[in-house]
Amino acid sequence: MRGGEGPVPVSRGRPFVVRGGRAVTGGRATAAGGVGLAHPADVGGHGCAGPGPGPTFEVMTESPAPPAAPTAPRVPAWAPGRGPAPTTAPAGPTARPAGRTDVVPLVADVRLVAPALTGGRALALAPVSAATWRAVGQLVVAALWTGTVAVVLLTGAAVGVSLALLVVGLPVLVLTLALARGYGRAERSRLAAQLGADVPAPARPVRRPGFRGWWLRTVDGRAWAAVAHASVAATLSWTAVALVAALGAVGLVAGVELVVPTVRDALQIDPWGWAVLVLPVGLWGAALVAQGATLLQLRMSRALLGGRSRAEAEQAAQAAEQRAEDAEVRAVRLRETRTAAVEAADAERRRIERDLHDGAQQRLVALGVELGVARRAVAGDPEAAARALETAHAEVKEVLAELRDLVRGVHPAVLTDRGLDAALSALAARSPVPVRVDAAGLGYGAPASSSAQAAAYFVVAEALTNVAKHAGATSATVCADVVGAGPDARLRVRVGDDGRGGAQAAPGGGLDGLRRRVEALDGSFDLVSPAGAGTVLTVEVPCAS
Amino acid sequence: MRIVIAEDSVLLLEGLTRLLVAEGHVVTGHRTADALVAALGDPDADLPDAVVTDVRMPPTHTDEGLRAAVHLRGLHPRLPVLVLSQYVEQRYARELFAADARGLGYVLKDRVADVDDFLAALARVAAGGTVVDPEVVAQVLARSTRSALDALTPREREVMALMAEGRSNSAIADRLVVGLPAVEKHVTSILTKLDLPPDSDDHRRVLAVLRWLEDGPTNGAPR
Repeated sequence: MRGGEGPVPVSRGRPFVVRGGRAVTGGRATAAGGVGLAHPADVGGHGCAGPGPGPTFEVMTESPAPPAAPTAPRVPAWAPGRGPAPTTAPAGPTARPAGRTDVVPLVADVRLVAPALTGGRALALAPVSAATWRAVGQLVVAALWTGTVAVVLLTGAAVGVSLALLVVGLPVLVLTLALARGYGRAERSRLAAQLGADVPAPARPVRRPGFRGWWLRTVDGRAWAAVAHASVAATLSWTAVALVAALGAVGLVAGVELVVPTVRDALQIDPWGWAVLVLPVGLWGAALVAQGATLLQLRMSRALLGGRSRAEAEQAAQAAEQRAEDAEVRAVRLRETRTAAVEAADAERRRIERDLHDGAQQRLVALGVELGVARRAVAGDPEAAARALETAHAEVKEVLAELRDLVRGVHPAVLTDRGLDAALSALAARSPVPVRVDAAGLGYGAPASSSAQAAAYFVVAEALTNVAKHAGATSATVCADVVGAGPDARLRVRVGDDGRGGAQAAPGGGLDGLRRRVEALDGSFDLVSPAGAGTVLTVEVPCAS
Repeated sequence: MRIVIAEDSVLLLEGLTRLLVAEGHVVTGHRTADALVAALGDPDADLPDAVVTDVRMPPTHTDEGLRAAVHLRGLHPRLPVLVLSQYVEQRYARELFAADARGLGYVLKDRVADVDDFLAALARVAAGGTVVDPEVVAQVLARSTRSALDALTPREREVMALMAEGRSNSAIADRLVVGLPAVEKHVTSILTKLDLPPDSDDHRRVLAVLRWLEDGPTNGAPR
């Protein structure tokens, strides 16, 4: 540890005294006491040497926040994905009050397509109102159109499902469901054109990558709902058309009978009683059936082809809330790791400053003194000058070695030039404890970024230093590989030893600084070091970091 | 001379010791400021002829040496102290010279390599003179926005830096390779421009410069 701790022979109580050219100094042995190259950053970095009654150990399991997944959890498959606008459903032409999005009240539909049901004047004029004629028109079109579609879709669905096990059914099924979705779109357009009714489309299913995403989109519940809609609408419209035709015919006959005497006479019945009774039943009945069936069809279309309105909105809101929460958590974590990264960088700069100040700078001053002494002595006392030059020469070599170590500590050139594999081998070669390096796993998978590689390198460097200094191990292993693929690929290094264990990443220590560095890269840092059973340090950093 | 050194770097301590011993001095070395204070902190202590101390030493590695120097000067106002520092800071200089600048020196550690200059500075301090590192002067000159300093010519600035080192006019003339009358003219000009009392005594001249340095940048000048 840094000077001042432990007895320093030169200064504590017994100063060394030099008289007449005979120097009695503390000697080089004391160098470690005062000029030591250790620094406070190391203090407590390794629990093994701790003075406590028994080594404590602490497992740092810091799982990183999950990277922003394409979709947040709990978001239903049909909910809006990461799209820029959190649309709960496409907005209709008319703005609806928030909170009741897409829920069209029954009354509104009644007024739109079945005004006769509201009674009064509309009921009185039902047989001749525009609503009735629109209703009759759409029922006729619906009967023909949905009837055809229903036959196609039901056949396709039946064939597809029954043959799905034989695989050949699957394409049929997929085609059918695609047609069903197309039908849904067409039907909504038809309702808008013929009735002026706006049926909002359901929210698009979330686009997930891969085959699974495509399959989920294909067999989406809305497609099946469209199949059901076609079947029911076909039945409903055919029935309604038949009823309207029958009632209308009866009403018309009655009307004609009342007006044309020859027909009345020909039938030879009591004309007034029958006609007066049948005429309103026929005409008004037909109008009411047409309007009622249309109303029924519109409501059904809203239910089966439209957005699931309120529930959908609520779930979307929930999902949005969840995403906001996740983002908040992520932001907090980013702030923390950013601060830690800045602090770690700061501590690193202080360490470098101290190393330079206590090491190279002092040595260079001493070197200057030696050379000054030599210069003064060169004329009068060549022997003394030669001695001073010799000391100075040795000094130069030491300061060079020290600078080399320091530079390597700042950033190892071999890492830049030859990559992580070579850099790890170089570390292992310098370790006094035999180290086996397995870096074969680096060859596969995504190439790691330079900051990820540097983090991995320094983790291994610090871990091996600790192994040599504190673990009392006879051997160590370093394993580096890339796990995962694509954007989730992570560079993993694991350093294990068979030493005495009990290591911990104490705050402010070397390991702690590395932990913060790793976390700033969204990495994980896991130290397992039970007392007496060796130490395993596993660090993972995203390759892309 | 009997010289006490406080320096935590063993190498430098050894080098200085060897240098001073070769010059015929008797050297006592300490590795911490605490040890230095312990050795000389007694009011009746047998005082050496000079103390040389580093600034940054264990345990905190900040300004222990400087505080020890100030403390010892409080106990023994006449004890000559030469402070060596890796970084020369005007603030440190002001703290050190606050009471009495007699027999005080504050120089950059690198100057030690200029063995002759170092020995001369040590001798001046031991004789009761004052030595301020030219770097301190340079810092003031670089920072100051006072018009009085702007009025100095580059040559006069050089002369003032040398004056702050405690050099006599003839020493300055030697250093700048000019005649003595020229130096005298510069000195008079400097003292006039800085509104300092003219004085022939080397030590008093340093004090005058120092006083000016101390007052200068603090009086409303931006740092």
